[in-house]
Amino acid sequence: MHSDIVISQTDGRPMYLQIMEQIKQRIAVGEWAIGEEIPSIRQLAVALRVSVITIKRAYLELEREGVIVTQQGKGSIVAPNARLTPRLYDEELAEHLEQVVRLGKLLGLTPAELAVRLQVATDEFAAGRLTKEKV
Amino acid sequence: MNELAVHFEGVNKRYAHFTLNDISLDLPTGSIMGFIGANGAGKSTTIRILMGLVRQDAGSVRVLGHAMPAEQTSAKMDIGFVSEDMRLYGAATLGWHMEFIRSIFPKWDAPYATDLLRRFDLKAEQKIKGLSHGQRVKAALLLALARRPKLLVLDEPTTGLDPVARREVLGELMAVLADEDRTILFSSHNTLDVEQISDQITFIDRGRIIDSADKEIFLDRWRRLRLALPPDAALPHIPGVVEIGGSGRLPVVTTKSFEPGMVYACNDSGATVQAIDTMTLEEIFVANVQSRRQEQIA
Amino acid sequence: MNRRMIGRLIWKDWYLQRWIILASFVGGAISLAIIAKGGKAGFLVGLILLITVLVSIGAQLAVSTIVQERKEQTLPFVMSLPISYREYTASKMLGNLAIFLVVWLVMVVSSLALLAYPWDPHMGLIPFTAIMATEILLGTCLVVATALITESQGWTIGAIMVVNLAFNFFGYWVAHIHNIANGMESTKLMWTSSASVLLIGEFCTIALLLGLTFFFQSRKQDFL
Repeated sequence: MHSDIVISQTDGRPMYLQIMEQIKQRIAVGEWAIGEEIPSIRQLAVALRVSVITIKRAYLELEREGVIVTQQGKGSIVAPNARLTPRLYDEELAEHLEQVVRLGKLLGLTPAELAVRLQVATDEFAAGRLTKEKV
Repeated sequence: MNELAVHFEGVNKRYAHFTLNDISLDLPTGSIMGFIGANGAGKSTTIRILMGLVRQDAGSVRVLGHAMPAEQTSAKMDIGFVSEDMRLYGAATLGWHMEFIRSIFPKWDAPYATDLLRRFDLKAEQKIKGLSHGQRVKAALLLALARRPKLLVLDEPTTGLDPVARREVLGELMAVLADEDRTILFSSHNTLDVEQISDQITFIDRGRIIDSADKEIFLDRWRRLRLALPPDAALPHIPGVVEIGGSGRLPVVTTKSFEPGMVYACNDSGATVQAIDTMTLEEIFVANVQSRRQEQIA
Repeated sequence: MNRRMIGRLIWKDWYLQRWIILASFVGGAISLAIIAKGGKAGFLVGLILLITVLVSIGAQLAVSTIVQERKEQTLPFVMSLPISYREYTASKMLGNLAIFLVVWLVMVVSSLALLAYPWDPHMGLIPFTAIMATEILLGTCLVVATALITESQGWTIGAIMVVNLAFNFFGYWVAHIHNIANGMESTKLMWTSSASVLLIGEFCTIALLLGLTFFFQSRKQDFL
């Protein structure tokens, strides 16, 4: 069940993000069903040959986003109300991107500068998590 | 149940040509620590002190709750140790070694051992002297793994292994951690392996620990910032700078305390941030060591 | 000290050295047979062979089990077992000396019995034989002690050479001690105080060597 997640070592993104994305994809296509139990942090770490701390971080993030729910002492399940229909999010993203490009032009930013702002925003998003709770 | 599988505090050891200075580290039960250092940095000495094979000149060492080296006999009952300079008896077979270990350690798991034989592609009837280097490493690992130790101490466990064997070994090490009461400490030159499976990482150089933290913190806080400065502008103040490369107008700043807010600070002082590069563990280690060595020269 | 672990270590060494041990038993048996065949020539040849076997086995075992364990880097494997350095030392001393003593005792008893052979007694040689046999035991203890304490192949081989040389000089000296020399040709046993003194002195030296070995070993801090 969980050995079908494949981690790429040449993917430049942090490992925990890759894992989060693949978990969300599996939930989105229904392979991991709503309300169903997902592998424990340690089980997944062993299956993927990835450190426990990384899986822990991915799970924490997923919980923050409301994708999974961790029950005290019982493990984690796919959140009953996980809204992950890819198309919905995709459309949302396209809308926001259009806004970003428009605002960027107003501010006179080059595409490269826009990309930097995007990176900063991504990092801030992640840092906001990091400082609040020790991973 | 002890929370710390390994606890070093202020450990010193002096040799004629090398000194281990003020080594302090903590390894919580259930986690895996990767130990990275150049040759001669003190990894092996630290590991030997951990095993009670070398007595520290000062400082306290507790392993699985036992004081070392005084209680090493009890501690070693629950420790599986494999080091790079360790050899098995060439004239005997792997099967003989397995039987020998089985007679000493009651927790020997025979079905698991048989399974490992198969997965490591080894035969019990083979004499050790007939094995290749990689096979010998796997044999030693098998002997350490099959007795289900609470703590695994490995000095360069994947060095000299082909990629397939490495993957098998990493898989087995992670499988050990499925039990949250078991802990692993391993030293390695292979930063990719360390980056992948370690929970904590410790850097050691010239007898001192120069950094020790959760892996994710290392990966999050170290960045290379590529800046573009307007003419005659000074470099903005950036916290945690470890190294500055590039040219005067296009500096590349390596920092170990990165925060997204840094970008605004740079922009405010007139510098443009052209890119923010993440760093691999290897790059982090090298930058860390080089900057420490510069400090020592200065 | 954990007797079970010491036993396991001794068994390990014996297993790994089994062919050498077997060879020494065979060699010893052959030399005894040659001595038994009788005749002065047989006695001399057999005796030399016997001494060679005895001296060799002691030295060989010390080198194979102690010096080579360091050289061939199997020591870390042993030290990763649940033992302390004291138990390691004890296993080496007991393991090596036990084998040696078995061979030695068989040789000594057989030699003395042959010397007392009813219709060809050479019982005058018994004191000399006893002293020299104990000297071989002492020499072996010295070699084992050197191997353990110095951890060096060079020093151990040096000790082997010194012991061999000293054996010859010692033998010459003992054979010329008045009391002992006088009795050697006799067919009757003539035990003298000189012989007693020498024998007691040898055993005391052996005890001292073993004690010193433990003392020095327990003071070592680094085992690798």
